[in-house]
Amino acid sequence: MMRLPGYAIGALWAMTGVVFLLLYSPLVIPIVSSFFAITHGEVQWHDPSLASYAALTANAGILEAVGNTLIVGFSASVLSIVCGTLLAIHYCGGKSLGREAMQFAIYLPFLMPPIITGLSLLIFFRETGIPRSLMTVIVAHTVFVQALTYRTIVVRLQSIGPEMIEASTDLGASAWQTFIHIILPNLASTLIGAGVLSFALSFDETMITLLVTGTDSTLPIRLWAMMRLGFSPDINALVAIILALTTLLCILAVRLLLPGEAQPAE
Amino acid sequence: MIFVGSAKNGFWPRLLATFAYGLPVLLIVAPLASFLAYSFFRMEGGQIVADLSFGNYQRFFTDAIFIPILWRTCLLCLAVAALTILIGFPVAFLLANLKGRRRYLVLLMVLVPLLMSYIIKIYAIRSILGGTGFLNRFLLWTGLVDAPLTLFVFNLNAVLLTLTILLIPFAILPIFLSLERIPRDLIEASSDLGASSLQTFARIILPLSVPGIVTAASFVFVLAIGDFLTPQMVGGQSGFTFGRIVYSQFGTAFNWPFGAALATILGLVAIAVIAAGSRLEARQR
Repeated sequence: MMRLPGYAIGALWAMTGVVFLLLYSPLVIPIVSSFFAITHGEVQWHDPSLASYAALTANAGILEAVGNTLIVGFSASVLSIVCGTLLAIHYCGGKSLGREAMQFAIYLPFLMPPIITGLSLLIFFRETGIPRSLMTVIVAHTVFVQALTYRTIVVRLQSIGPEMIEASTDLGASAWQTFIHIILPNLASTLIGAGVLSFALSFDETMITLLVTGTDSTLPIRLWAMMRLGFSPDINALVAIILALTTLLCILAVRLLLPGEAQPAE
Repeated sequence: MIFVGSAKNGFWPRLLATFAYGLPVLLIVAPLASFLAYSFFRMEGGQIVADLSFGNYQRFFTDAIFIPILWRTCLLCLAVAALTILIGFPVAFLLANLKGRRRYLVLLMVLVPLLMSYIIKIYAIRSILGGTGFLNRFLLWTGLVDAPLTLFVFNLNAVLLTLTILLIPFAILPIFLSLERIPRDLIEASSDLGASSLQTFARIILPLSVPGIVTAASFVFVLAIGDFLTPQMVGGQSGFTFGRIVYSQFGTAFNWPFGAALATILGLVAIAVIAAGSRLEARQR
């Protein structure tokens, strides 16, 4: 943005290095200890092993929690995309009464502290007599991530503009045909990108889940319960795998959401 | 948008409209309303009594515990916001000065820690700060201290440091975006007129990045004040925050109505901070 003198650039890189040290030390510790045993607080650098990864396959409890997390993440992303698309089409459809208020309501679960979103759903489920289970977790996650999918879809719909849709209608297409042949193809990359980001958000959602979950726990809740006793090495292996996969997934999602801009090309 | 002319009053548009109003009302407005209603209820003999009164709010204002803890929590979150901005600004500024592949990689490196499990990160930070943790062993090794420090073990300092490390990326992004918006002509004009790069930074770039700093501050503050897991895990006995008190009303203390009232107050603080932030930001622009 401006021509900085060499020492300034050097100082900025140095400060960024320190910040990355802060940001990455909590990531590096579990990843290193997934490959190397730590005895008496010393890392056994000379003896790398994949034992913790092998142990992971035998830990049925944690694998079940991972399975639950995948079910919740997948259901919440699909539901939030379907609902988000319908809500966005309605919002962009004209000056319907109170649409700004509705839009504000959709954003609320994302804007408010998670404890309030979680508590209001907890009280709501209690009042309506719905028992807490994975279903209530899915509903809570959908409401939470929907704010994000809805917003992304509205932005994309507004950038498509009305011309193409008017042309389609003028040429005699029904609303359904316009949706299938014009809107959906234009939204496709946005929907996939928003879906992946929702999945990543849902995957690690802890505070809302803690309040609305029943006996079937998701991974973060399971980890939270395990914390008091400390983690076994296979947990380190698990989080290392998950970090690698989610990073890859999110790089793909960002490329889909921001074509051109996010490309690393010069 | 896709419905025109006579089709606007057909079956499908009506269904869509019903859904578009019904869903937020059912799953967002109704839960919030029942949550607010609960804050006016009370407990009697382990049962929740649906009797509207201001008793819970009265207890908050008259009991000598709650207001000082809320105040202390607000100060803690302000400190977290200030620290994340101080630490995050150089990274945001570097990002704004990078181009192409390098910028993409540094940005990616800022975001990747957000994908790591929250609980695992807190646990790892705890093992760094702890009495026999990496930080203390490093300090002992360098000879800076003679005995392990207990400054960062299970107290508010530990909460402050942990929240800061967790929330740095949320400060970097808004500041980076506001730096990006500064018109290049202004910077060029400044250097053409003979300003040194330090002068350009102090007179042009820093003042114009204030909206981003304000957004970052309100973001981080709201995220920090809503977090009840971090203080629970690294705060110990002395690191009690307002969020922890709210959460305990739904667990050990088992007083849902009072918890709902405390959470409402927490929400009001968050709303006030967001509103103040967006007003400040609008004025700075």
